Amino acid sequence: MYVAVKGGEKAIANAHRWMADRRRGNRQQEELGTAQVEEQLGLAVDRVMAEASLYDPELAALAFKQASGDLVEAVFLLRAYRTTLPRLAETLPVETSAMHIERRISATFKDVPGGQVLGPTYDYTHRLLDFMLLAEGEVPEPARAEEALEACPQILDSLDAEGLIEQEVDDGAMPYDITRDPPDFPVDRATRLQMLARGDEGYLLALGYSTQRGYGRNHPFAGEIRQGSVEVEIEVEGFDEPLCIGEIMMTECQMINQFAGSRTTAPQFTRGYGLAFGRNERKTMAMALVDRALRAEELGEPIQGPAQQAEFVLAHADSVEASGFVSHLKLPHYVDFQSELELLRRLRRGYVQQHEEAEASSSEASPAGQESLRTAVEEAAQ
Amino acid sequence: MSHRNDVANGDAMNTGYNDGYNFAYLDEQTKRMIRRALLKAVAIPGYQVPFGGREMPMPYGWGTGGMQLTASILGADDVLKVIDQGADDTTNAVSIRAFFERVAGVKTTTATSEASVIQTRHRIPEKALTKDQILVFQVPIPEPLRFIEPSEEETRVMHALEEYGVMHVKLYEDIARHGHIATTYAYPVKVDERYVMDPSPIPKFDNPKLHMNEALMLFGAGREKRLYAIPPYTRVKSLDFEDHPFEVQVWDEPCAICGATDSYLDEVIIDDAGGRMFVCSDTDYCQSRSGSEAQLYDDPSHDGQPLDRKPKSAEEMA
Amino acid sequence: MTQFDDSVRVHDWPALNDAVHHGQQVFRQLLGAMAEPGSLVELDMAALPDGVGIPSAAWAAVLTLCDLDTRIWIDARIEASGLAAAIAFHTGARVTQVAEEADFALILPSTLGEPLCFAEGIDAYPDRSTTLIVAVESVETGEDWQLSGPGIPDRRGLHIGGDGVTALMQRLMANRTSFPCGLDAFIAAGSRITAIPRSTAIMPSVNAPQHAEEEVA
Repeated sequence: MYVAVKGGEKAIANAHRWMADRRRGNRQQEELGTAQVEEQLGLAVDRVMAEASLYDPELAALAFKQASGDLVEAVFLLRAYRTTLPRLAETLPVETSAMHIERRISATFKDVPGGQVLGPTYDYTHRLLDFMLLAEGEVPEPARAEEALEACPQILDSLDAEGLIEQEVDDGAMPYDITRDPPDFPVDRATRLQMLARGDEGYLLALGYSTQRGYGRNHPFAGEIRQGSVEVEIEVEGFDEPLCIGEIMMTECQMINQFAGSRTTAPQFTRGYGLAFGRNERKTMAMALVDRALRAEELGEPIQGPAQQAEFVLAHADSVEASGFVSHLKLPHYVDFQSELELLRRLRRGYVQQHEEAEASSSEASPAGQESLRTAVEEAAQ
Repeated sequence: MSHRNDVANGDAMNTGYNDGYNFAYLDEQTKRMIRRALLKAVAIPGYQVPFGGREMPMPYGWGTGGMQLTASILGADDVLKVIDQGADDTTNAVSIRAFFERVAGVKTTTATSEASVIQTRHRIPEKALTKDQILVFQVPIPEPLRFIEPSEEETRVMHALEEYGVMHVKLYEDIARHGHIATTYAYPVKVDERYVMDPSPIPKFDNPKLHMNEALMLFGAGREKRLYAIPPYTRVKSLDFEDHPFEVQVWDEPCAICGATDSYLDEVIIDDAGGRMFVCSDTDYCQSRSGSEAQLYDDPSHDGQPLDRKPKSAEEMA
Repeated sequence: MTQFDDSVRVHDWPALNDAVHHGQQVFRQLLGAMAEPGSLVELDMAALPDGVGIPSAAWAAVLTLCDLDTRIWIDARIEASGLAAAIAFHTGARVTQVAEEADFALILPSTLGEPLCFAEGIDAYPDRSTTLIVAVESVETGEDWQLSGPGIPDRRGLHIGGDGVTALMQRLMANRTSFPCGLDAFIAAGSRITAIPRSTAIMPSVNAPQHAEEEVA
């Protein structure tokens, strides 16, 4: 007996209930609180905030919990929430030179004004499982400097003073807003950076890596990576000075790349830039590599690697778009599949018919008939 | 109190049919942006208008474009029908219908003739649409030239210059290889002799319904952030060649449930031995012919009883 | 039409009854008008203050379609009744003096007799055009102008009353040669509105003597 495929609301509701049960897991275990996620799984929270383009650690933690730790799903949840928010004000550009530094390193100079600050990092940890964590042991307090760090000058500024590196000049233009308007290819660098900033980390990592292996090589040095909190300011009518409305944690990466120059401009280092909410060092490094790769055309370099093809890179960087479209293949496609089936059966009937005709003629007059059969089959197979 | 248009959100909150979101989910400014784009789409039939598509609380690829259009046109007295693969009871159709019941409190129906707005994925209803209906299509890839030319920069120029030769070359290559045009769904059309348009992945069986339809047809692609339209009474031609004219699918047998010979049939596998039967993909059409009544959901809180469809016995059919 | 009245203040202009639902209803009617060129639609809108230069249907269209993201160009002859301030107050839209920057233009038919360049879009982006909202004295079914094209089963005939209608219609006729670029127009009289998008072909009726007179005048 035929029973139509049905997806009543009841089935969907039950699926959601089951999912919620799976998320909760064994009830004898204490439930994970969002405050715990925010405090103890901070790098996941930071990644969710960066790719969702919304700085809200509490809600990012909630999204992470609600998604059972699926980062792409958590990014989607937070993004869908973000789009409903009213836009109350526009902030001024954040001043990363005035960052309250927590970590700051340069691979280009041994010592720099302000010093190298290792900060909290997994770098130089030996990747040995720490079985102490299984036992839930207490962690000692960190060692802290007596005084907070002064704001450090950007390392690239010293090269800038000598003219060794291209200058970044604010042309004052209002940047295109990718959250409001559809991208209109080709897009300018400010737009590209916005798209990369919310791009999937894994995707950018792979693309950035591909440039290091020769698919659009651009000889990068990590000029400076800094991580810390920056002030967010807005201008308010009636106040002469901008008002600080809070601080957010950010990571910035400035790559120094090989020279550009021409008969009319002296050779100079070029830059790749990465910036993200939270502690997102891998992401910002990959972003800086890809940013630089996408400048190939502007800098007169041949476009040879996938990472240099702007439309390809940017149209596929967003994990919310990508995962949605890949997962939509789960939706019913009976109708289109039926269309294909109908055509395929028709084509196969044609093939068999041709085959049989060829066979009939070959039995009448071989070996010439054999030859024509082979030709018919080959033609059909092409 | 300037910009009164935007103070409206509070009003919707008092009506009790949503969770603090605006009527039909989208904020009024987003709706106006989409509405302005829709007017342009109608004025330039078949042209893909870029619009600032928003994230919806459903994944991209699952109908977010169609949903944004529906949300922008829907009013409190509309009656909404949602179909996927022609059926009202497929999971995604159920989910989208439930969404609009929740955020807009509108009446919904499964009956094509009762609906003022129909959102669809992959089909055009069999029953002829009328002047006061709007059909909203969910579109995955709006660019008909995309699989020939992946770059948006390039395809935009091709549309601007009306350079559609590549599309004919592609279709002709099919004929050379298979003896037939091998495109069976999302079959490209030319709208009012100007724009080549992707009619969304409807089977080519539905293409003739695009021509001079009485209803306004709107197409929304959320991920790709494009929308386009075919006004009522507009000439729409499926691309073809003089020696290989456009033709639609035909079946050797009628619908096993209602006996229709003029509808698009889905193949259903009924046993492990490969036995199969063919039934209408348009569930409302099938039910209206086989006598069971379609449901008008006027209670938004209903739990969406699945529709009961059973094949007729041989005697009933005869 | 050109009556000047300084005493009309911004809040004397009516708002939509309720921006969500009233705005939706008006939009659906405008969409219907654009989808079926030349069909006549009555928009429900409270009476405007005495002496203002535009019909209530045009005002309803502005309230429904305009907001902070749009720029409007206004013919000075209509503007004289405090319209610009009212639009800024009610919608937040920006008034522009540059015709080709405008998303919408509130005009009289004769405005199109002047050397103004509204945006018609470009071949790659024909949607980047100015939508005209034209204030006329009357619009009804008639024989003067025969419309055909998408949205019209066979033909639809219009009579439009007011000064400069020929200039307006000649401009809209020119759309056919620039298509897909061009100007789309809403044409409003009182509470009534109709639309002529760029896809519409317009034929002047040979039996309409007033065209000749108008052109002479």
